[in-house]
Amino acid sequence: MRKRILAVAGYVAAALTLFVALSVPFVLMGGIAKAFAQAGFNLAPVYSGGTVARTIERNGYRIQVYQPVRPRPFQNGEPFVQVAFVPASALPAQICEEIDLDGYGRPDVRVSFAVPSNPQTPMRGDVQALNDRYDTLTGIGADSYSRFLARTGDRIVLRIPLPRHD
Amino acid sequence: MTILPFTMAAGEALALGFATGPVCVATCGPVVVPWMLAQSEGVRRHGLQLGLFMTARLTGYLLFGAAVWLAGAAIPRAWTGRSWLLGAVQVLLAVSLAAYATGWPRRRPKCAQRPEPLVQIGEPMRGKARSALALGFLTGINICPPFLVAGVRAVQLDSLSASLLFFALFFVGTAVWFLPLLSLGLLRRTPAVVTVARAAALLLACWYGFSGVLVLIERVIYG
Amino acid sequence: MASQASPTMSAPAFRSVGRSMLLTVPMALWSLLMFTPSFLHAGPDSRIACGVVAAFMTVLFYQMMRTGTTYRWRRYFFVALGLLFPVGFIASLVAVRGSMSIPIERMVSGDTPFCYMVTPMLIIPAALTRTLIFPGSILPTASNPHSIAAMIGIWLAMTLVLGKAWCSYACFFGGIEEGFAALPKHARIRKLDPRFRLAPWAILLAVVLLSAVMFEPVYCMWLCPFKTVTEFPAVRDAETALQFGIFVALFLGLVVALPLLTKKRTQCGFFCPFGAFQSLFNKINVFDIRFDRTKCVDCGSCRSACPTMAITAESVREGKTLLNCMKCGACVDSCKKDAAVWHVKGTAVAGKPERARLLFLYGAWAMATMFGGSVLAHGVATLIHFVARN
Repeated sequence: MRKRILAVAGYVAAALTLFVALSVPFVLMGGIAKAFAQAGFNLAPVYSGGTVARTIERNGYRIQVYQPVRPRPFQNGEPFVQVAFVPASALPAQICEEIDLDGYGRPDVRVSFAVPSNPQTPMRGDVQALNDRYDTLTGIGADSYSRFLARTGDRIVLRIPLPRHD
Repeated sequence: MTILPFTMAAGEALALGFATGPVCVATCGPVVVPWMLAQSEGVRRHGLQLGLFMTARLTGYLLFGAAVWLAGAAIPRAWTGRSWLLGAVQVLLAVSLAAYATGWPRRRPKCAQRPEPLVQIGEPMRGKARSALALGFLTGINICPPFLVAGVRAVQLDSLSASLLFFALFFVGTAVWFLPLLSLGLLRRTPAVVTVARAAALLLACWYGFSGVLVLIERVIYG
Repeated sequence: MASQASPTMSAPAFRSVGRSMLLTVPMALWSLLMFTPSFLHAGPDSRIACGVVAAFMTVLFYQMMRTGTTYRWRRYFFVALGLLFPVGFIASLVAVRGSMSIPIERMVSGDTPFCYMVTPMLIIPAALTRTLIFPGSILPTASNPHSIAAMIGIWLAMTLVLGKAWCSYACFFGGIEEGFAALPKHARIRKLDPRFRLAPWAILLAVVLLSAVMFEPVYCMWLCPFKTVTEFPAVRDAETALQFGIFVALFLGLVVALPLLTKKRTQCGFFCPFGAFQSLFNKINVFDIRFDRTKCVDCGSCRSACPTMAITAESVREGKTLLNCMKCGACVDSCKKDAAVWHVKGTAVAGKPERARLLFLYGAWAMATMFGGSVLAHGVATLIHFVARN
């Protein structure tokens, strides 16, 4: 009797597996993807740049200053703060901005770069430190996760390294 | 330097430890998990081993707490020597893990008249205790960001004993997150499980060694 | 009516033409269903490719029905997948950004397509901090349809059906070494330490723990041999140069040289941590391979045939394979005594193995057609486009 029940259960499970297989492209795949997307995950800050701390409105575009991103224990790389200029399509040909990175009400760096008309063109820019907490960077491009200036999608992303001992 | 009322600091220590506990478990995981998996099964035995590991880790925390308080705020803020210690700790961790994974050094007969090494991995129980203490201490002095934040708070306390108590409470906050590791004692130990654990420990030893040597080389080259 | 002949690799027909065609009809319809949307909305290259691949998959399934064997026909599909995936993928990369290397801008913009091999490394960081340690995008975008959510959806849905058979019917990398392993007539290295079988588990444990510490997918950054035939972080300093060197060395060693020398899937069986992770799903999958102890004569053919050493003398005595069995069918097809059989858990071992095989194959081949078939079609379309242009 037990063997019969197990056998029936086995075949039912096998048939269900087949049913699941047929539902994969139509229901299951998309359902799992949707559930996963709504589960509240975030990308690692070293890739995404973290969360936006504050937004500075300008004429036709905005500057998003992000929370500082610090490396994990044993993780290589410098801490950095990301600044995004959005939307890239609305930016003037030349950007020269003084930006308060730490939210203390005083500008910390002066950022300057040319906005190329071709989105594929590699970018170079300068970051001049306005206090001794930051380093002055000349000719920064897409050099590393923490020293970065490039167009990504419809925004221009700049990452400025923070002092390690902060 | 502000002097914090200790009651506030105690709550802060526990909260900070609890908040950063997952980071501590994740950081210590590569050391603890293969080491525990390579031992015989049994929740009680694992509890004892984990207890020894945590005791040694606490010792590391308290030593750091004492050093931080005695040296003042200079250490956490601008201590560029931190990477020297990080590199050295990683290399030592690598050596300890590799020794544990390979069972080196082997026990010598009593008549050999040689002193026993600091870390003896494998059977019998005494050897396991040494490995627990060595690995626990080395992870305890691994200076990671939550540790440094705790250090910054600790120097604001008015006595050495308060700083030590702060670190002890910080430790308790993190230790709660290690309790689920006791469930590793329930996993059935077959030769395959132990072989996998030891092989993983050896791989991780290679990683820590590589990482530690890189850090030290960077310090030598860039200062 | 099916003949009672033993279903070995070179046996006479196991099943009549009519019955084989009848059993193939559902799979032919499924192929039509899967390829028709692409056929209707694509250019001439893709239409030809869809037609060719649909026919290819249907013919292979027919052969499985006609001969009663599985391994050889599955291998044709699998090797084709291993060869054509890089063709289509690399062509897409070169067309979009001119090179196989991933510039850092694409990682920051979340344009890196998600590879299922990252999945086990995501678990601890996601569980503890709700963070996904991959430079992709969670939702599909115009520049990255292979988002994390979409690929997790595909992987999990298919894994519920296949279990570890993912490594025989879905993985687009395993076919490369299976192809190399099939080339020599005889293995030059015959004796392999059985403990190598445990290496994927050790690597899995190590990379999962390290990824939780480093907050990056350590296997992908340092150990994946298949970066050599897909995409890799752009070489811009000593560290990335070392990483690239490791990828190439592992590919040449584990995917090319060792399969040629051993006729085994050495990367899959002795290295791949994702394979070890997939093995866990064999615990809940209802299909497996069993050994009928009343028929088995312990000749060892199954052990020799198994590409990943998932069968030992001890496991055969217990009547089963090890947890890392990929359900490729090599052991079943090599057994001269019909002792190695397809099996549905809960049922009798010597019951109806062909019924178990059919139930398994319909699901597995449906997944192979849906997923691998689309990859094959993309690869074939790329080749047609390349040939037509030149």
